[in-house]
Amino acid sequence: MIRVVFFGPVADRIGSNQLRADFHAGMTLQQLRDGLAAQHARAFEIVSMMAVNGEHVRDLALPLADNSEVAFMAKFSGG
Amino acid sequence: MKEAVRIQTEDFSQDEEIAALKGRSRRMGGIGTFLGCARDFSEGRDVSEISFDAYGSMALSEMRKLREEAIAQFGLLDARIVHRIGTVQGGDNIVFIATGAEHRVAALEACRWIIDELKQRVPIWKKEVTPQGDAWVVPHP
Repeated sequence: MIRVVFFGPVADRIGSNQLRADFHAGMTLQQLRDGLAAQHARAFEIVSMMAVNGEHVRDLALPLADNSEVAFMAKFSGG
Repeated sequence: MKEAVRIQTEDFSQDEEIAALKGRSRRMGGIGTFLGCARDFSEGRDVSEISFDAYGSMALSEMRKLREEAIAQFGLLDARIVHRIGTVQGGDNIVFIATGAEHRVAALEACRWIIDELKQRVPIWKKEVTPQGDAWVVPHP
């Protein structure tokens, strides 16, 4: 199982701050993103940053491990 | 003593943060500071309050990395970063950065570097609450 977390403007558009996605062997970040973006197109329009287990990730080919936490995030606006 | 890097809902004291920084070394000859505040007017609208959302664990981890990188990159004697979350009003403090070095140039350059990097790397989002409705802030360059 993959725990997918959302914050701020993305969470508002999803209507939730977390979802669970089924894990399968060989699953990549790209596959997870594509599946979620198809269901939540409006939220994923503003996704420009990703993190896996709290670390910034830019490579969508990254293989995911079971029980990972993945964040799809809009551009930050802190400070 | 309070942690050098913190995310908190309550306000902070600049004097306390600077005193904690100075207390780390008597070799400190220059301290750079940045204070970010909430504006009550933005994009042509009155802003009644600003609320923050954060990926708390990652934001704290990224802020700790920023401090360590700044200390190494600019040869700082120490640095402190405090960011508020929750809800703030116009004029309230949001973020404070203090950098201490032997000389002013390193302290000032490191302070500028930390706030610029924080805006790019730390997962915090602000929403402006206005009489016309709420709006998530689109980051300024």
